[in-house]
Amino acid sequence: MINVIHTFLQIKKRAALATIVSTKGSTPRKTGSKMIITSTGALIGTIGGGCGEGEVIKKALEVIKTGKPVTHNVDLTSGLLYEDGGICGGIMYVFIEPLQ
Amino acid sequence: MKKEVLYHKLSEAILNRTTVSLVTFTEASPELIGKRILLLSETAYGEKGVSDDLIRATAAFCAPSFSKQNTSSLDFQWQNKRYTIFHEAFPPSPHLIIAGAGHVGEPVAQMGNMLGFSVTVVDDRPSFVNKERFSCADELCCQSFHSYFQNVPLQNSTYILLLTRGHQFDVLILQQLLSRKDRPAYIGMIGSRRRIAGVFEQLRNDFPEETFTHIHTPVGLDIGAETPAEIAVSIFAEILAVRNKKSGEPLSSHIRELAKKGFRKGTTRCGNTK
Repeated sequence: MINVIHTFLQIKKRAALATIVSTKGSTPRKTGSKMIITSTGALIGTIGGGCGEGEVIKKALEVIKTGKPVTHNVDLTSGLLYEDGGICGGIMYVFIEPLQ
Repeated sequence: MKKEVLYHKLSEAILNRTTVSLVTFTEASPELIGKRILLLSETAYGEKGVSDDLIRATAAFCAPSFSKQNTSSLDFQWQNKRYTIFHEAFPPSPHLIIAGAGHVGEPVAQMGNMLGFSVTVVDDRPSFVNKERFSCADELCCQSFHSYFQNVPLQNSTYILLLTRGHQFDVLILQQLLSRKDRPAYIGMIGSRRRIAGVFEQLRNDFPEETFTHIHTPVGLDIGAETPAEIAVSIFAEILAVRNKKSGEPLSSHIRELAKKGFRKGTTRCGNTK
């Protein structure tokens, strides 16, 4: 993945890099997982898929436009809950930055 | 230093298996957000826009995380300013050594590559251990098992699979491995009960009984694997369980009791975060 990021920086193709910088609770992927989003919405790597990743892709396209990095909180706890009050998801803090 | 040059240095360090980590400012003054510092044992490089003093302060603050090679977000204060940084370590990829370039070795090498292992295949037969059959391997060693296992570095990130064509080779390799001072993370040996008994029989005089309890044999988890590809799945299920210190039991066996209690709908739809 580091080589891919390096290549993107070299060819100066407009893209964004999303990195999970911390997590709480149960998340599909762990801290340090990365995904590159190109300006056309193509993806390299995954930060866990599903609607959480969808949110990050949307944010990433904004980041490519504005050129300003943001930290986005993906809350996966707001779906189903166990009857006993336990949550079946977690929260991921995703740092999204332009790669240019 | 430009970000591009920083990443080049990072790639180089990873390739050379040098201890390295990357720091990203995730919360700071706007001009600093997204800036990076590359940490090496003796030195640190900052991206353009990060002052030398801040590089030094960050490197000193990250020293414990660097030596432990932890990946995490950290808060720190410097000159009355608060920073949140993401410290990312790059531990070297685990080394998988496949002894025996036969039918099972092929899918095992492919899957090992897929799972991020640095794959070495060893065999003494050039017609078996070659680029055509093992295009995905990082290293092919056509030499005797004896000479290879005499000198190969053994670390806690080394995984060894004995998939040889005969039990006399397993005996030879285990004699080498078990008399070495360093221990690998995992030794797995393929074989029928009879073959395994034969191997241990020959080693029994040279090594204490408890030595054998660390050898995973027959190799793999019990999923009824038969074909080479199926055996590869079974082997890696076991290797990952060992590496991640997990039981290898079905996940459903833990959740079943909880799930009986039922679910209820949360207040918001999945995807709404605000």
